[in-house]
Amino acid sequence: MPDIIANDREGYIELKFGPRWKYIACVRGFIQNFLAISIVDQTKADKIALAASELLENAVKYASRDDTHILIRVAPATEKISILVENSATPQSITTLREVFQKIIKGDPLQVYVAQMKEAAVRNDGKSYLGLARIRYETGGELTLNITESNVVKLAIDIE
Amino acid sequence: MNQLNIQPISDDRIKIEAADIPDGLGVTFAGDIDMEDPGIILDPFFDRIHQGMISKKLKEVKADFTGLNFLNSSGIKSVAKWIMRLSDLSTDAKYRITIVHSKDITWQVTSLPTLTFLVPGGVKIE
Ligand SMILES: Nc1ncnc2c1ncn2[C@@H]1O[C@H](COP(=O)(O)OP(=O)(O)O)[C@@H](O)[C@H]1O
Ligand SMILES: [Mg+2]
Repeated sequence: MPDIIANDREGYIELKFGPRWKYIACVRGFIQNFLAISIVDQTKADKIALAASELLENAVKYASRDDTHILIRVAPATEKISILVENSATPQSITTLREVFQKIIKGDPLQVYVAQMKEAAVRNDGKSYLGLARIRYETGGELTLNITESNVVKLAIDIE
Repeated sequence: MNQLNIQPISDDRIKIEAADIPDGLGVTFAGDIDMEDPGIILDPFFDRIHQGMISKKLKEVKADFTGLNFLNSSGIKSVAKWIMRLSDLSTDAKYRITIVHSKDITWQVTSLPTLTFLVPGGVKIE
């Protein structure tokens, strides 16, 4: 496993790992267990683990370097959760990401998700363009995207 | 074995099986579908079902997801792709898809019902 810095008092957990596909299921399980002891709502814990998993899949698939990073914060009073995933990316995948992001961030989450499914069904390039639309709908959370000057992608979702 | 001769899929994380049901085929999914490209196994599997349903003129596929703990968005893409093929069929070749979901698995409650919007009237959820 990657190095783990967890701090109960502040309610956050941070994982940093060399992007390997087989770590994702393990991190997903780990997050689920972490949330089971941090928040009461099990449905919410499932949604967060799903969102983290989809974001990590992307961070592994599209990372251009070995610096994938995930930070999960729990606000104890409100149980508001933020997930932030960071990775370096090529200018080309950043361009695609900006386009997809603009497309899926507006409008009714369910309608956007269904529209993306219909488009995914006719794609043949191994991509789905479905992950971000899916977690926006399934978690009801708010997605934000920031890209640094050094081409680091920071994708976050805040879930109430 | 089933009348469409669909072979089961089995590895350490997933099990998919097909069996005859009255007027069609029952398919059960179990485990976790979270590989990088699940289309490699799912697309040919759904293709065999689709072709078989048409050639044997069967009317219903009951797809039971209740044993599936996890399905990533690439896997959802494969399911959506299969469902969308219903809209290419002429009325007499058409078959129904019934999706069986578990109320205890969060993603199934949120994601599986959305599949019914892909082909109006083609997919039922229970
Ligand atoms: N963390 C990331 N780094 C770089 N590019 C990304 C990242 N996440 C997403 N993208 C880009 O945005 C697209 C949409 O992502 P997503 O909705 O998860 O669909 P998919 O992963 O199936 O393509 C990806 O195809 C990729 O081009
Ligand atoms: Mg993705």
